[in-house]
Amino acid sequence: MNRLKGQIVAIDCNEHMSLVDVAVGGDVYTATLLETPESADYLKVGNRVTLLFKETEVSLAKNLSGLISLRNRFPATVRSIQRGDILSAVMLNYADKTLISVITTRGMDRLQLVVGDAVEALVKANEIALMAGHHDA
Amino acid sequence: MIQASLKKRLHGANGKFDLDVNLQVAEGEFIALFGPSGVGKTTLLRCLAGLEQAEGNIVINGETWLDTAQRINLSPQQRRVGYMFQDYALFPNMTVRGNLEFALRKGSDKKRVDELLELMGLGELQQRKPETLSGGQKQRVALARALASEPRLLLLDEPFSALDGEMRVHLHDEILRLQRHFAITTIIVSHDVGEVYKLANRVLVMEEGRITHQGNPAEVFSSGQTSGKFRFTGEILAIEPMDVLFSLTVLIGNQIVRVVAMPNEAGLLQAGDRVMLVSKAFNPMVFKLG
Repeated sequence: MNRLKGQIVAIDCNEHMSLVDVAVGGDVYTATLLETPESADYLKVGNRVTLLFKETEVSLAKNLSGLISLRNRFPATVRSIQRGDILSAVMLNYADKTLISVITTRGMDRLQLVVGDAVEALVKANEIALMAGHHDA
Repeated sequence: MIQASLKKRLHGANGKFDLDVNLQVAEGEFIALFGPSGVGKTTLLRCLAGLEQAEGNIVINGETWLDTAQRINLSPQQRRVGYMFQDYALFPNMTVRGNLEFALRKGSDKKRVDELLELMGLGELQQRKPETLSGGQKQRVALARALASEPRLLLLDEPFSALDGEMRVHLHDEILRLQRHFAITTIIVSHDVGEVYKLANRVLVMEEGRITHQGNPAEVFSSGQTSGKFRFTGEILAIEPMDVLFSLTVLIGNQIVRVVAMPNEAGLLQAGDRVMLVSKAFNPMVFKLG
């Protein structure tokens, strides 16, 4: 799974759910959680957390324009591509970190992705989990 | 509320060590003692039941069961503990009903036996002798008998380890139902993560006679706190390459599921490994059954 270390910068919550903003380097990403600062001790502004999301939940876009509801857009470059029959894995450089996106080979071909391409990795806030503390794989 | 502080010298496979435990259990809690063999889990249960001696004290709801400084040490009968062993320990010469009636406290109503026979679905078997019962049936009788004495504390020592998967799952459901029905404080010894997960509110991990950490099973068995709500422990049955991913076949309870993993994740795993599967609460789709 993809892991990014960050720090909680804001929490917006109601009785049952929270939108948690996490700074990773200079960027801020958002996770929707079925937890609140009351039910989970680690949800505090300033706490260190690790963002977790599955490779198969990472979409890719090239030259994206217009409005999009997605909150989580990671500017990245394609480092390498592993082509499969149905699914392909795209290794991305995001700042000094690595992200992996697994998308359909068909989708990859439609983007005509090649190594060095500038892309945006897109992840729905629903698909991001948080783990208390900083954890490497 | 149970408060116990117990010390006892034990002779383990790797030499002597001390059982040294402080325990606080709230009324109605379901606690699991988890850890490898030979760390003192069964000894701790036996000390609570009064079947073994230890230094220290045990107070349950204000009543002192043990206080070695004051030379107080109630007998197992006086403590009123329901104890269920792995090997059933039913009286072979008595019927199912006889086993339960024998465990009743003096003067208590025989209706409790009828209630337990009905609750456990043992009505049809009540005149049978233990030798004619299956393993699962014997264990249900043993559980009913442990409850017959109206215990204030139910102690379960790896009660399901001799049973097959399906029967275990069935008995887990049964024990949860009864534990809630009687709201009885329960301590189970187990080294099955899945079992602990399913049954216990709180797990105490024991090593070398001491409780090294504790918490709810999700906290204790996950490598850190995660916000995933959809979480199961299981056993890897198979790992197969699938395009650029790997497919993992995982046994969860008695259900087999398949999930995908990245090559670097699959590389750390082999068949037989225990894993935790975590997903966001948003992913699972829900279908009503029946």
